[in-house]
Amino acid sequence: MQKSLLLAASLTLLATTSALGQGVVNVYNWSDYIDEEMLTLFTEETGIQINYDVFDSNEIVEAKLLAGNSGYDVVVPSGFFLSRQIEAGLFQPLDKSKLPNIGNMDPAIMEATAVHDPGNEYALDYMWGTTGLGYNVQALQERLGEDANLNTWDLLFDVDTVSKLADCGVTILDAPNEAFAAALNYLGLDPNSESEEDLAAAEELLTSIRPYVRYYGSSQYIDDLGNGEICLAHGYSGDIFIALYAAEEAGADFEIGYSIPEEGAVKWFDMFAIPADAPNPDNAHTFINFMLRADVAAANVNYVYYASGNLAAQEMIDPEVLEDPSIYPTPEVDAKTFVLVARSPEFSELMTRAWTRIKTGQ
Amino acid sequence: MSMADLQGQADQAPRMTLYQRITRRFGKTAVILVPMSWLAIFFLVPFAVVFGISLAIKKFGRPPYTELLSFTDESSVQLTLHLSNYLQLITDTLYVNAYLSSVSIAATATIIALLIGYPMAYFIARSSDRWRNILLMLVILPFWTSFLLRVYALSSFMRGTGVINNFLGMFGIEPLVMMQTNFAVYVGIVYTYLPFMVLPIYTNLVKLDGALLEASADLGARPWRTFISVTLPLSLPGILAGSMLVFIPAIGEFVIPSLLGGPDTLMIGRILWDEFFTNTNWPRASAVAIVMLVVIVLPLTLMQRARDAVVDGDNR
Amino acid sequence: MRRGFFVPTVAALGFAFLYLPIISLVIFSFNSNRLVTVWAGFSTQSYVNMVQDPQLLPAAWLSIQIAAVSASLATVLGTLCAVALVRFRRFWGRTLLSGMATAPLVMPDVIIGLSLLLLFVTMESMFGWPAGRGMLTIIIAHTTFCMAYVTVVVQSRLSDFDLSLEEAAMDLGATPLRVFFDITLPIIAPALVSGWLLSFTLSLDDLVIASFVAGPGSSTLPMVIFSKIRLGVSPEVNALAAIMIGIVALGVLVAAIMQMRRRPA
Repeated sequence: MQKSLLLAASLTLLATTSALGQGVVNVYNWSDYIDEEMLTLFTEETGIQINYDVFDSNEIVEAKLLAGNSGYDVVVPSGFFLSRQIEAGLFQPLDKSKLPNIGNMDPAIMEATAVHDPGNEYALDYMWGTTGLGYNVQALQERLGEDANLNTWDLLFDVDTVSKLADCGVTILDAPNEAFAAALNYLGLDPNSESEEDLAAAEELLTSIRPYVRYYGSSQYIDDLGNGEICLAHGYSGDIFIALYAAEEAGADFEIGYSIPEEGAVKWFDMFAIPADAPNPDNAHTFINFMLRADVAAANVNYVYYASGNLAAQEMIDPEVLEDPSIYPTPEVDAKTFVLVARSPEFSELMTRAWTRIKTGQ
Repeated sequence: MSMADLQGQADQAPRMTLYQRITRRFGKTAVILVPMSWLAIFFLVPFAVVFGISLAIKKFGRPPYTELLSFTDESSVQLTLHLSNYLQLITDTLYVNAYLSSVSIAATATIIALLIGYPMAYFIARSSDRWRNILLMLVILPFWTSFLLRVYALSSFMRGTGVINNFLGMFGIEPLVMMQTNFAVYVGIVYTYLPFMVLPIYTNLVKLDGALLEASADLGARPWRTFISVTLPLSLPGILAGSMLVFIPAIGEFVIPSLLGGPDTLMIGRILWDEFFTNTNWPRASAVAIVMLVVIVLPLTLMQRARDAVVDGDNR
Repeated sequence: MRRGFFVPTVAALGFAFLYLPIISLVIFSFNSNRLVTVWAGFSTQSYVNMVQDPQLLPAAWLSIQIAAVSASLATVLGTLCAVALVRFRRFWGRTLLSGMATAPLVMPDVIIGLSLLLLFVTMESMFGWPAGRGMLTIIIAHTTFCMAYVTVVVQSRLSDFDLSLEEAAMDLGATPLRVFFDITLPIIAPALVSGWLLSFTLSLDDLVIASFVAGPGSSTLPMVIFSKIRLGVSPEVNALAAIMIGIVALGVLVAAIMQMRRRPA
């Protein structure tokens, strides 16, 4: 008797999971990357239920997409991952007729993202930002002096400087692409280089500062910076701002600052894309179109402190966000930023192995 | 009783219906077949799949590994087996060091667990009946709460701005760096697996014949001597059982080194996860898994079988 | 017997070590500050946040459902397996069954998770089932490894069992099936209950295997907690922990009281 009940239960489960295909959209986005009220608004307006899952690294998205039938309808990878994923046929072309709000997009951004996605066929920009340095102003001034230059990669890559900061906590993103790009750029080399000598030089640099790094992480540093647990973090612009406002709110006795260092920094784009085997492609288009609406895009920017690829939204973005040069860089600073491109598979292998060597000392 | 009586008894046994005859005949088969089929499909076949994929190489596409069998033209099939993953496991020092490091970290943590757990078990075994049950319950209770939450509790204890450092800060002591170190991993493993060490030792100690200890004391041995010469050797089975229950799972741990360990805390569970999720190298992750199976699990299963055979032999 | 100073001290330290972090978790769940390590005043705000968190409670409900189904399936399969191993002395594949049934006990979670994911991916490309990962695949995975624990628990109870009871019943003409349900099952019932509870706990607590075989919208509670923990300290998690610890403590207390009542005077 027990067994037949269980059989019935499992069959019901099977049935429900497949019935959920109606009126649902499965979204896979970066963590802390959306104003959650927008999700409720979407369901209210369209009646479509949202299954919203989050991730904190491009690699995990890639792993799920490569496994096939991930079950997601909308994913938001970064540009330089996107390009090789498009080549591998992991996404379906966007049906622009279902995306009337595409007119809201900033043409300059569209042009920039065409580097990753020729013709903007498969993806549209959600947010973009830079990868720079976040720091505890007081802690750094204490150790480096009141008028220390806080706008340079020396803070991280100059052994004399970073060794003074080791005791209050230094972290680096656990993302080999980002770390090597910053290192190559600091050494005056091409951040998109595929030369093995350049890689070796960058690896040497990163290894030299290894003793002073507390940990390599892509999400923990936000809270730790805001709590005073660490004082220097290699991180994403918007994340550092979250830490900044968190520290303010908690009434901390220190300030958090973010700088796009003068030597240059990575500029990245996070893009909406629809997997080739998405179960609900129509709902996916509806969702993306909703997110491209000016007021929705503005609400998200005001919440996550990243720049949006949406031009029409700019009227509704908080002035203090719009005018912050760390979020919307001035043309001079912008000129120094650079975009990463996808590397060949062989070079990626070498890069990830070098990264493991740096992290583990093996 | 005469033969006629027995015959009469047999005649009086209820006749079997068809249903009963079928279940009697096939019941035994069903009882064996049901769990065996489930395990064969969801336990054995996966390992065959893992082994197969370990002989492929990484390819960027869906699925992210090369095909083993391919049709070169209509009438030929080609079987391509790549041994490069296994070669890399041997030549690349990362993997060998990760295995060795995992064993060493697990062993250290097991010894610490033993040093803390043995006195606990001893204390409980020597307590009065009423206290014994309460203490046992106190040991088991943490096990029923989520292990993830307990590791989280440890991390908020050991952080730079955590409870311990706040406490030390009251005396003006500089904050200790405890997180993201091997030390934190030892603490984590001991904390999680302590009940598994205490219980087998307790079970062993509680069955100890008190008369033996009295005899030892009567012969003039001091309590410490009695412990070393009598109690300790007799509790060896419990010590071994407890140590195995801590050591084996600790080798393949992922969550604890991931949350508490540093970037240089090499553990094979983490390497496997990284190979799979970060490097998207399923074939190499599969090779790591197969080697782990052969090196750790197989000897254990054989040991278990040997022990079972001994027990069976005793019971016969 | 003179016990001396050493043993009770270490034992006390051991218990303190086990409980201090848990107690601090509970205390700081009532902290009014977002920081969970500096006391700033009493408040139940984190409990409110926990209930309102869009991920925590749905994940908890999903995990409970998965655990209940997996534990039940695992109990049935594990009992069958134990019966086969104890009652039937020799049959083809006995060593295989014995090995398969106990191997998950010593196998690291990452290997079980990886192998099952690869199986599901391969099955999907060959047969089209299971379509995508989700609740069903998690249930299958949990059932498979929980089964091992049930087998061990029931097996040890069955081997202690007095066979003459069953033999007597069969002499009286009962079929093996009848014997099993009327005689064997009631006597090994406590082992079945332990096995079910053990499986339920293990399934509820599993992080690694679920991470491998979960799909969209099927994030289990440990997965949600893990991602929250990786982001840093989170008072809502403290609140959840306090509630879970409370429930478990209550359950253990009730079980203890029931057991003490049953003890003869």
